[in-house]
Amino acid sequence: MTELTLYEEAMCCSTGVCGPDPDDELVEVSAALDQLEEEYDVEVSRANMQHNIDQFLETQPVADLVEEHGPSILPITVVGGDIVAKSEYLSYDELASELRDTQTTPQEA
Amino acid sequence: MSTQTGAREIVEPSGEDTEFVFFSGKGGVGKSTVSCATATWLADNDYEMLLVTTDPAPNLSDIFEQDIGHEVTEIDDIDNLSAIEIDPDVAAEEYRQETIEPMRQLLDDEQLETVEEQLNSPCVEEIAAFDNFVDFMDSPEYDVVVFDTAPTGHTIRLMELPSDWNAELEKGGSTCIGPAASMEDKKAQYERAIDTLQDDKQTTFAFVGKPEDSSLDEIKRSASDLGELGIESQLLVVNGYLPESVCEDPFFEGKREDEQAVIERAKTQFDANATATYPLQPGEIAGLNLLADVGGVIYDGEEATVEVGSATDVDTDQSVDVEALADPESVAEQLTPGDDTRYLFFTGKGGVGKSTVAATSATKLAEAGYETLVVTTDPAAHLEDIFGEPVGHEPTSVSQANLDAARIDQEQALEEYREQVLSHVQEMYEDKEDTEIDVEAAIANVEEELESPCAEEMAALEKFVSYFEEDGYDIVVFDTAPTGHTLRLLELPSDWKGFMDLGSLTKGAAPAKGDQYDEVIETMQDPERSSFAFVMYPEFTPMMEAYRAAEDLKDQVGIETAFVVANYLLPEEYGDNAFFANRRAQQEKYLGEIKDRFQTPMMLAPLRRDEPVGLDELRAFGDEITGLSDLEREQEVTIS
Repeated sequence: MTELTLYEEAMCCSTGVCGPDPDDELVEVSAALDQLEEEYDVEVSRANMQHNIDQFLETQPVADLVEEHGPSILPITVVGGDIVAKSEYLSYDELASELRDTQTTPQEA
Repeated sequence: MSTQTGAREIVEPSGEDTEFVFFSGKGGVGKSTVSCATATWLADNDYEMLLVTTDPAPNLSDIFEQDIGHEVTEIDDIDNLSAIEIDPDVAAEEYRQETIEPMRQLLDDEQLETVEEQLNSPCVEEIAAFDNFVDFMDSPEYDVVVFDTAPTGHTIRLMELPSDWNAELEKGGSTCIGPAASMEDKKAQYERAIDTLQDDKQTTFAFVGKPEDSSLDEIKRSASDLGELGIESQLLVVNGYLPESVCEDPFFEGKREDEQAVIERAKTQFDANATATYPLQPGEIAGLNLLADVGGVIYDGEEATVEVGSATDVDTDQSVDVEALADPESVAEQLTPGDDTRYLFFTGKGGVGKSTVAATSATKLAEAGYETLVVTTDPAAHLEDIFGEPVGHEPTSVSQANLDAARIDQEQALEEYREQVLSHVQEMYEDKEDTEIDVEAAIANVEEELESPCAEEMAALEKFVSYFEEDGYDIVVFDTAPTGHTLRLLELPSDWKGFMDLGSLTKGAAPAKGDQYDEVIETMQDPERSSFAFVMYPEFTPMMEAYRAAEDLKDQVGIETAFVVANYLLPEEYGDNAFFANRRAQQEKYLGEIKDRFQTPMMLAPLRRDEPVGLDELRAFGDEITGLSDLEREQEVTIS
């Protein structure tokens, strides 16, 4: 089981369907994550600064980045413990490719 | 009397567990009074009682003539009764600070400020408000807890959350309701609270209303909202009917007849297990004697005591010269357009006569020669009754020259909004090439999200904003206005995008929609183009509610109140007795307070025997209202 975690901006609705216009990126990433969970052996979680600040503080590399660069460094995508993207959301295709990489890499030390 | 014992059975506890009584209803109908009377009556019947008020302008201290505050306080002269006043603003602020505190480690002050502003959302206020109820729903030391407010169907739906909210929580995502993570601990507590609310043995939902059609209609809507969530309304208290002995002329005799007809209708049509009534008093209800009277009438079937001659508590020094308050020229200035279209917003709580004042103003403005559109968002379609002509979703002309009217149909607006969002999402995916994403599943997700109360609110706003684009009108009159909170909702996405743009983040270009909303808000902030008018009647609670809403509008969106409408002023020529003299003195006292608080021109409108129906009556009514009767003359001068 691979862990995929998104560290995100403080926001009200992570689904993107809130406010006058749907937020395209959030709609897309929400759908992508749902689909990846079904297709891959992956556990997806989303931490947003407003509601899951503890998770930020407990993850040193992420906390360091935010402290140094401010919230503009978000969103940060972590797959299997590695930071694979900063300052932008990955598309479904990119996320899928990251997952294939980790899941074909031998897990033994 | 059987109805009275009905009320008694409903609020008296029946088992070992603590029971809860919620009083729901608009401000100014006497909810606090009835809540206090109920708690006092139960305490007198040897039950251990707690009374909780979440009114932002609490008047428990006035009613009990004793200081109460944010701590549970024993009431001096009543055994077994304690009370607490919770300030919902303070509660929301505490909630915000708790959320922000841990972020201090990572963010600097400027960044924190942005987050703090974001937390200024209606969602946060609603969670904090619901927390107030939940906090007291585990109080085994009391037999009954009485709340002088009740959660609405909207709030309970928010707390129940979408069906897949467990999945959403596990993923750590946020729902519209806000803090998923911090809520996980609270989830069980919320679920218990909602179970309790739905258990009619343990919980009583009671409505308080005035003997008016609009008040009863409003209650029916709220009750059916709650009914859909499995919550039965059990008790209806109709408060403030005119006592027979004081109605001595055709004006008030007629009003009394109408009220009695509404009470009869309430008894037969409203699906409550019991209905009780209490008369209007010459002054405000305070002190233990009057409270005991209210409780005795509602729960023991006693006759009400109305002491007409002596019961005045109005200091005559405080009353003001009503004529001197009226300033027709300043009001007219706020009503008429300059170079651009003038947008007029009549805002205020239900039952203050917004629709009538808006329709009357629109009619008089049209009569004076301005091309005018009047728009209502009232779900009860009040405008049709007022004009006596059909009014549709799109602007349609009514018989008055220069006048069009429109009514926002909520369901149609929601359908339009849904279609728009879904086609937007569809287009977005069409532009993506070679993606392996399951577009249908993605769209199904969005569709589910659109079932939320947020979507309903956004849909109404969408439609509302579209009227800003209607060309060819000198004046557009709205018989309601979005609140400061709702307008924040419009501003939020742009704020949020601004926050994201602080860095090098490659966000898609802000959609044109955002610019459109910015423009609308800019128009609303411009006193040359927009006038916000708060409609109220001169009593304590309606005044305080309007004042708070006005402050909100100023603080949250930077919109200043242009003028206030003081409606339902008792006519001088009727009601020539001590009762109405006292009522009139009380109105004058609050007119003075309204003037002091708002510091704006005042539009004064009299109480009428009947609501005006049809254009002739609207025009005649307009002639009695400050600022409207003078319009024509000014316009004639300009034309000639």
